[in-house]
Amino acid sequence: MSWAWLHRLGSPKWFYGRFKAWPKPLFCLACLCLMVAMVWGLAIAPPDYQQGNSFRIIYIHVPAAILAQSCYFAMGMAGVVYLVWQIKMSPIFLQAVAPFGALMAFIALVTGSIWGKPTWGTWWVWDARLTSVLVLLFLYMGVIAVQSALEERSLADKTAAVVSVVGLLNLPIIKYSVEWWNTLHQGATFSITEPPSMPMAMWLPLLFAVIGLYLLSAAVILWRMQTEIMRREARTQWLKQEVLSDGV
Amino acid sequence: MQSYVSLTLSNISIERGERDLCKGLSVVAQFGRLYQIVGENGAGKSSLLKVIAGLLRPVEGEIFLDDKVIGAAMNQWPQDCLYLGHQYGVKRLLTVEENIRCYCPNASRENIHSALAQLDLLPYQNTPVKQLSAGQAKRVALSRLWLSDQAIWLLDEPFSSLDVKGRALLESKLEQQLKRGGLVILTTHQALLRIDAQSIELTL
Amino acid sequence: MTYVSFLRAECHLVWRRKQNMVNSVLFFLLVVVLFPLGIDATPMFLSKAASGIIWCAAALAILTSVESLFKEDYHDGSLEQWLVSGLSVPILVLIKMALHWLFIALPLLLLSPVLSEVLYLPDNSFWPLFMSLMLATPSLFLLGGIGSAVTVSLRQGGVLMLLIVLPLYLPIIIFATSVTKAAQVGLPYDAPLAILGAIFFVSLVVSPLMTAISIKASVN
Repeated sequence: MSWAWLHRLGSPKWFYGRFKAWPKPLFCLACLCLMVAMVWGLAIAPPDYQQGNSFRIIYIHVPAAILAQSCYFAMGMAGVVYLVWQIKMSPIFLQAVAPFGALMAFIALVTGSIWGKPTWGTWWVWDARLTSVLVLLFLYMGVIAVQSALEERSLADKTAAVVSVVGLLNLPIIKYSVEWWNTLHQGATFSITEPPSMPMAMWLPLLFAVIGLYLLSAAVILWRMQTEIMRREARTQWLKQEVLSDGV
Repeated sequence: MQSYVSLTLSNISIERGERDLCKGLSVVAQFGRLYQIVGENGAGKSSLLKVIAGLLRPVEGEIFLDDKVIGAAMNQWPQDCLYLGHQYGVKRLLTVEENIRCYCPNASRENIHSALAQLDLLPYQNTPVKQLSAGQAKRVALSRLWLSDQAIWLLDEPFSSLDVKGRALLESKLEQQLKRGGLVILTTHQALLRIDAQSIELTL
Repeated sequence: MTYVSFLRAECHLVWRRKQNMVNSVLFFLLVVVLFPLGIDATPMFLSKAASGIIWCAAALAILTSVESLFKEDYHDGSLEQWLVSGLSVPILVLIKMALHWLFIALPLLLLSPVLSEVLYLPDNSFWPLFMSLMLATPSLFLLGGIGSAVTVSLRQGGVLMLLIVLPLYLPIIIFATSVTKAAQVGLPYDAPLAILGAIFFVSLVVSPLMTAISIKASVN
């Protein structure tokens, strides 16, 4: 098997040229998907027979929670790639994805607690999922804090990779442990969090929302990566030419 | 001590943070000679030494010992290479002898005794290093030169905080190392008095 | 430098700094004392909360002592010497952590009978608590070591280190306290103990490697 593609992917110059035009169409597509999802989910889909209209927050909450986890997984993998192969692009990706993932985890937490108020009667419940998203947020904040605290770039890259890899290894243990802890304390009283197979009319807009948010994350992360590439490669010749010929 | 002919730096480029420190540096260092890395403050003298010691990865370039590529990692050959950095790893809470025994566990009692005698450290053998002066602590670190027989010495500012007598002592030790066919690469701002040093120029 | 001479020097060092051991034991005791004073001193509450209190205090005490594990080695240039010594840095790291575990965690373990009396821990859950401490405090050291190495070059790395390491401690604390909770209600507790063992082995493999990577990145 040839590893050439991986090495090409590792070169900021190649990456920049290849994906320069991508964020804008991705962003438009994402907006479209999200609009469809929002209109469909908020206005057209039928209200839940138990929760009424309050369930509609699912169209933000669930995609955000999914994204928060996917982003962490991607970040951890980038960390592994950096530690093993020293690919130049992976810390750039890591740096681009961390704040976005943290934001998603934060949104998932906030919407979760807003959702909790009408359904459970409290803003916060020590529910296994909520707790593990909270821990996820802490893990993100750790990575971001390391990146900003260490001034020397190579050191910051390495340590952020180490922290995210260790977090990635821990994530399943954390999830499992929190579930264990929760079931030991109290039975699964909130069966609402395990939605019974949803009707199509509710599920389809959710699918759109998830896809839309994935597209949005791809666009945002690519944008952030481009900015970061420009910052890191500011002294190189190819970037100067690129900027002179095409503008930023 | 192993004997070698030359240590070759081939096309070494070093980057620190955002700055290029040296680009395409090539040097053939002959054993039996002393090389002094010279350059202004911030030119990357210590970084070059770290690259040779294998602590810092160069952006480009390779290092050869005779004809063997050793990558950029002298530290694969600890029996051949002794590196003393700006901070030289002397533990302040340990006594002079405990420090020496940590780094040179195979040195015999007599050898340690004679090295300490030469370095004027004999009265302080069982004194914690934190009670010594900066120059004396430096001598504790330098005692490794007396007690181990690596062929390559990489010394970062070995003369700093030494007094006149200490400098002369160190210089004669360096001379001995050259005589027995060793290689010394060091950074210093002082001119060496007795040894004819080759210089490796680094420019900003 | 050899592994043996390194171990010998580290033993001397730990012994010269024995005040640190006393400090962390005192810190441990003080944190434990805070709970009855701050929440509730009745035996009913305490007997239920005892294992959690002891565990939180132990985790905090270990965290604070592990924080500066490599600080001095970084500032006096010893880390550079580890890297050029030709010895395996993960093993050096492991030796150092094992030694510090002996000096910091063992006193905590020895104090646990006294504390469980003071906190009215039911008799049937003392041994489970002790075993969980035995099995899981090494993991706390191993994971803390990563955080310590990551922040070693920072002057004010303490809070950052806590931020990185505490989330990793959560599963350990959860499983460790569930050992005693299961024992208190008469349930078998070997499953969480086994998981604690598994976490220990995973950290034993991962932590020295990651710590060594961070050390290597920090030195230059």
